[in-house]
Amino acid sequence: MNLKKLLLNGRVLLLILVIVGSILTIIAQGITYGLDISGGVEITVQLEKPVDQSTMEEVRISLENRLNTLGVKDITLEPWGDQIIKIRVANVTEEEANSIIDTINRQGVFYAEFNGVIFATGADIKRVDQVSYEPREGAWIVPFSISKEAAEKFAQLALGKVGYPVDIFLDPPVNSTLIVSQEIYTLMNSNEFQFVPDAKPLPQRLKEAFNIDVVPYTNQSVEEIAKLAQGKEKVILVGVNGELESTLKNLGIKVEKREPRAGEAADEFIRRILGLYGPYRLQEGLTTGEPHTELAISIGGSKEDIAAMRQAQVVSVVLRSGSLPVKVFVEGVNYIPPTLGEQFRKQVVQAGIVALLVVGLIVYLHYRKARIAIPVVLTSLSEVIAILGVAALIRWNLDLPSIAGIIAAIGTGVDQQIVITDELLGGRKKEKITKRSGVLKRMGRAFFVIWASATTTIVAMSFLFKFFVGGLRGFAFTTILGVLIGILITRPAYAEIAKVLLSEER
Amino acid sequence: MLENTLKKLATADPKKMITYPLIVFLVALLILVIHFPTLGTDLKGGVVITIHGGNADAKDVESLLKAENFEVTVREIKSITGDTRVEVRASTDVNVQRIIELIKSKYPDAAISQTQFGPSLSRTAQEQSLKAVSLAFLGMAVVVFLFFRVPVPSLTVIFSALSDMTIALALMSIFGLELTQATIAALLMLIGYSVDSNILLTTKLLRRKEDTVEEAYFSAVSTGFTMSTTTLGALASLWAISQAEVIDMIAAVLIFGLLADFMNTWILNAGVLRWYIQRGEKK
Repeated sequence: MNLKKLLLNGRVLLLILVIVGSILTIIAQGITYGLDISGGVEITVQLEKPVDQSTMEEVRISLENRLNTLGVKDITLEPWGDQIIKIRVANVTEEEANSIIDTINRQGVFYAEFNGVIFATGADIKRVDQVSYEPREGAWIVPFSISKEAAEKFAQLALGKVGYPVDIFLDPPVNSTLIVSQEIYTLMNSNEFQFVPDAKPLPQRLKEAFNIDVVPYTNQSVEEIAKLAQGKEKVILVGVNGELESTLKNLGIKVEKREPRAGEAADEFIRRILGLYGPYRLQEGLTTGEPHTELAISIGGSKEDIAAMRQAQVVSVVLRSGSLPVKVFVEGVNYIPPTLGEQFRKQVVQAGIVALLVVGLIVYLHYRKARIAIPVVLTSLSEVIAILGVAALIRWNLDLPSIAGIIAAIGTGVDQQIVITDELLGGRKKEKITKRSGVLKRMGRAFFVIWASATTTIVAMSFLFKFFVGGLRGFAFTTILGVLIGILITRPAYAEIAKVLLSEER
Repeated sequence: MLENTLKKLATADPKKMITYPLIVFLVALLILVIHFPTLGTDLKGGVVITIHGGNADAKDVESLLKAENFEVTVREIKSITGDTRVEVRASTDVNVQRIIELIKSKYPDAAISQTQFGPSLSRTAQEQSLKAVSLAFLGMAVVVFLFFRVPVPSLTVIFSALSDMTIALALMSIFGLELTQATIAALLMLIGYSVDSNILLTTKLLRRKEDTVEEAYFSAVSTGFTMSTTTLGALASLWAISQAEVIDMIAAVLIFGLLADFMNTWILNAGVLRWYIQRGEKK
């Protein structure tokens, strides 16, 4: 067999390079699976009316902040067009998925609290102005105004309390018991959240304002903790390991668990659990007893300090979130339990292998030649690898429709290989001697059919890709990708291989 | 036997050849007029809760939920591998979490997936689907014309694709498959498959001047049959092994369409082309 000549053929070489590259990419990057395979929930949130891009961004940040307090990992929020936000959360339990849905459906609850007293809620925020940089103070400023009543209440509370901490909260875990690790308990009572010795420590402020009990975990028995939870809405375990969660659940107590994320500092972790922004140091001008309706929160940092600017934007969104710029509704929910997704993936892989074998068998039965059946199967397999390689490269979310698309593309791929094979074979049977021009003419005819059908498939699928919001873009994407890889790389290579293999036979 | 049938087809009167597929097309249209496939949850709106495994039984689930006054329809779907899944459908205004709680307490081992589509989202999906299908069809027509540049063969290829989709839709209606985004995608994919075999036939009959029409037809049929059987084989394995609904539905619709395409390519399109060639020869 003229293997060397075959391997040195440009088209075959290209195919080999693509396969090797794809395998390396898949190994290096791994394949990202869609939620219907990895398990998780996809929530489609619809805005009441179409909005411009900056409002969309505001809604997105606001939802993100609120969902972040839930302690669920891997939340992605993706705006689609001007009216839809897709929220995907991988690998969550049913309950977690439900609490996410609840949080979205609920309006954000905003509180401003000082020394254990709530002085303003979302309804008191009258206006939030643009975030701006104030060079004199060396800080990013979020100006806002509050109602007259809130201003008066605050003036009384703040009288003479320079430097005291002012807290703002978004969706705090009202009326609950927090069981926290010793380390976190110490940090909550530290200067980080208190600023001045005379101010009330954070746990005390939480207790007085929101009836949140913060209890350090010192190996209390389950019964003791159950007692602490009496009359409370839920128990939240904060950085506490062990089997408390399930034992408490068995007692019929609502338990939630929060763990720090990778790279998350302990103080950030505490803020996230509480939905706490700040605390901010109370400036002298506000401690005279005079009510001020125009206030501002300043976040120190230089003009180039992106982190400070981003923080200021978050605060601005939080201030507004008591009333989102537009109402949002949960319009669609798609929940797949992680175990089920795993099962689907296995089945699809099995189905793919069986499909390839069946194709090989039918091709063999038709031509009675292993030297046709094997290259056909191998070419299809290489097409699958190339599609997966590209998917891995661009981190395409491979969901079930995407996989169906791969198999559909393989279907057309095999079809086209058969067209090529038949043109090659048909030529010989008739003419006995294969003239070079004859082969070229036949190949031309085969490739005319291939190009025409590939173009129509790509055109048809492009519209699907462009117009669908749903998961079926994946189907369109992999089909188009498969057809492109087919006509540009695998089909020409197969034609070369088939020419060599079939001419050798005689 | 197959060869005899083919011989008959190759020598049959083209006009007769055309009649049968046209009748099937009309019957399919009639079926669609009487009973169009039901719209799936993603196009109509609603809630579907699917219980996988856990020995759930449709009747028990139904009585469990009816006892709490939930307005639901429950059905059981058995796959070839013997697994069953139970599907609970309701309108969007039900308390989904309560239903899931009830099911969970009765079948703790079951895996439960849920899908909800609100009314405005499903309306958007409907509009998008309609747009995607009509534009894809137009795009296909343009491409076919550009490749052939002759009206009669091009129109036949286009009609053939239309008929494939119509018959697949009618079969969906008969077998109770719903029209969802997934099945619409599969219907669009049919355009690709349909054009595949039709272009093969047209090219062979019109461009292969060294053979007789009969020979060209035979050669095209032989290639076309291999093409369709391999694809059918691949789709059938996909349908049989996977239990994911999206995949099953896409596979089923493609199978319907490919079966329709058999007829439309090798009888309808072949008939039209032979008639077209005969007419050309007479001139």
